[in-house]
Amino acid sequence: MAPVELRVVGRDLQSAPLDAESPSTLSSRPTLSSFSTLSSPGDGDCGSARLSRIGGEERSSTRIKIVDAALECIARRGIQKTRVEEIARVAGLSRATLYRAFPGGKDDVLEAVVGTEVARLFAALGAAMGEAHDLEDVLVAGISEASRWINDHDALSYVMENEPQYILPHLSFSKMDQLLSTASGFAAPFFMRWLDSEQALRVAEWAIRIVISYTGFGDPPFDLGSPEEARHLVKTFILPGVLALKV
Amino acid sequence: MESDKRRGPRQEVRERILRATYDCVGLFGLSKTTIEDAARHAGVSRATVYRYFPGGRDELMKEVVTWEYWRFFMRLYEEIRSCDSLEELMERALMLAHKAITEHEVLQRLVATEPEVLLHTLTTESAGTQELIAAFLKPYLEMHGLNPRVDVDEAADFLARMVLSYISAPGRWDLADREQVSKLVRAELLAGVVQR
Repeated sequence: MAPVELRVVGRDLQSAPLDAESPSTLSSRPTLSSFSTLSSPGDGDCGSARLSRIGGEERSSTRIKIVDAALECIARRGIQKTRVEEIARVAGLSRATLYRAFPGGKDDVLEAVVGTEVARLFAALGAAMGEAHDLEDVLVAGISEASRWINDHDALSYVMENEPQYILPHLSFSKMDQLLSTASGFAAPFFMRWLDSEQALRVAEWAIRIVISYTGFGDPPFDLGSPEEARHLVKTFILPGVLALKV
Repeated sequence: MESDKRRGPRQEVRERILRATYDCVGLFGLSKTTIEDAARHAGVSRATVYRYFPGGRDELMKEVVTWEYWRFFMRLYEEIRSCDSLEELMERALMLAHKAITEHEVLQRLVATEPEVLLHTLTTESAGTQELIAAFLKPYLEMHGLNPRVDVDEAADFLARMVLSYISAPGRWDLADREQVSKLVRAELLAGVVQR
């Protein structure tokens, strides 16, 4: 019942003009919009543009509070059972304040959660990979940082375990292709100190594939969140392949 | 109807219902296929279908997708089991699987219209598939010049993960192009695994 009501509220408030879509709203847009389609069939694409009109600092700090509260709720009870009222309570805000920040209600919050977490992951990766001195190190840094981030993410772990229907579609077929393309677009520049741009894109995509394969599926023989084990994999399987790609 | 002596009649009826349901899904689409359609095509009663699939339509549909999922891998296995080298095996597996997936009408329709049924199968079967592929590859690795510094189980697991990943999402690689596939196999799959 609740979701229907939320959607109506969202519609009413949506007549506010939207900024032209800014290309800088993270290159993760394909993932975001497909996520919203998934979480609310039929009430899809209007959310992503809204991300780009975050107002002043006060407003965005409210948004971040709400996003973090939502993450806490999801880590405890999952996406399906998390209600807007609960998110507001955990954030220490009123329901009305939450709806002012996220007129579309829960779906809107979820979309901001994905956007924020993707940005946080990219920021962590940027910091880790920017420090690297050679190709081996940059691969180890990127792979172990991303894997550790995924493994330690409470909300993501809960959803993977209990509500895989929200994640798995993005890890297979055309949505996985979109994810690979978005994420490798972000990661490739870090490899360009040692590889030409075409090779950098291939290697970035391969590394992302490896992270997803080893964190998302089956019982992995090693924990790529550990830099030692990531280095072992990089030296054994990836570096020889990178040499072969260069030829 | 051909009968398989090793399997009991129970298994045979179950198989017949699944096959009939699969045919119906191909004809009418998954959402339009009813228990009645499946029963009629299988030549059994509605009650029999429920006896084999007590969860009704939902269970039947999930089981049909899982059944076809494993048939897909069995067909692939039949196509590649005679390959002489690891490289040839990997190339053929990737190209054939890619072609089969792109041309698989029922699968493509499911992805577009009813991904949740497919998801169920992916969730329950993917770990098993990965283990199975790794087990299948292990003897090949032992026979075809495994790099002595590489652990065979790690290598088989790595290849299984990679093959499944490329099959479901090829990314920047065109798996219909033999030259690209050959490069992919030599670089991203086998460069560290086999002895140079």
